[in-house]
Amino acid sequence: MKTRRTIATTLLIGLALTGATRAETLSYADAVTKLAQDCGADIKKFCHGLNLGNGRIADCLQKNAAKISPVCVGTITTVLTSISQREQAQAAYAGVCKHDIAQLCSSVKGDGYRLACLIKAEKRVGKACNQAITDAGWR
Amino acid sequence: MTKISSLLLTLLVAASMAPDFAAAQEVSEQRIVLGLGKLVGAAPLIDIAILRQEAMDGGGVAMASLPNWGKIAKLPQMVVEIDFENDSVMIKPESYRSLGLIADALHHPNLWAYKFLIVGHSSSTGSDKHNLELSEKRAAAIGEILSTTFAVDPERLYAVGVGEYFPIDGSKGDSASNRRVQLVNLGVFTTP
Repeated sequence: MKTRRTIATTLLIGLALTGATRAETLSYADAVTKLAQDCGADIKKFCHGLNLGNGRIADCLQKNAAKISPVCVGTITTVLTSISQREQAQAAYAGVCKHDIAQLCSSVKGDGYRLACLIKAEKRVGKACNQAITDAGWR
Repeated sequence: MTKISSLLLTLLVAASMAPDFAAAQEVSEQRIVLGLGKLVGAAPLIDIAILRQEAMDGGGVAMASLPNWGKIAKLPQMVVEIDFENDSVMIKPESYRSLGLIADALHHPNLWAYKFLIVGHSSSTGSDKHNLELSEKRAAAIGEILSTTFAVDPERLYAVGVGEYFPIDGSKGDSASNRRVQLVNLGVFTTP
């Protein structure tokens, strides 16, 4: 918990300053777990009758920002930022790792097996591709 | 019973539908990826309307014994327990993690070529018709959450509700285990 808080804080500060700090991205599971932990009570109190999906919970929490707990307010930012970072890394993976795949894993068929090949060849894979795999949460 | 809130994730690998159904396992994204990824052979064509009708007409017989559901039963799948508010499509925050785990798995390269069927179930409390509708709405809600909050391509997701027609354990029709949501790997589709 403490570690996650630290990561979250680092992430926020990093973004606030330059946007350049690389923090570990959260998985969807960890992100929404954090949301449930820090905002669960507020969700039940202020967003009763609303379901997750289509931004309803995030919208409701933001609408009630003045009333919800400060921890929850911080968590929303962290969670949204982290999810979008991971999504970006996943979307960028194919392009970023194209060269590494051609060099090291060209004979391997199938996206899953190719990724496994790149992970195995970590030491020979380029920095950008390694970082993309890490940020995508696939390691 | 107050233990409804406990999250139970049961992983069902391949075709073995019956005995270990209730055995709770520690579930991780990796486990979902591995469990759902074991697809051998071509996936059958899926017609949601036929599946729904077959479930209604089947009236509580084992899923595997029905012609179309029998094919589904053979596909890699897992069962996730999602806690909904009573008689509602509202998912309790306690179950957000389960959805997140599914989403992480569906975003993994091992699974991203596959399409999935979300099967909603319900308890047997209340009328058949009501339960069928509720389970439909719950399956659809999960599809919506996965495709919006968790950015899974909606083209990859199918949802169907089967109400109380396929209970895990007939003697405990109202048990939390019948609020389960089943996720089936339908295989790689080349959309017609």
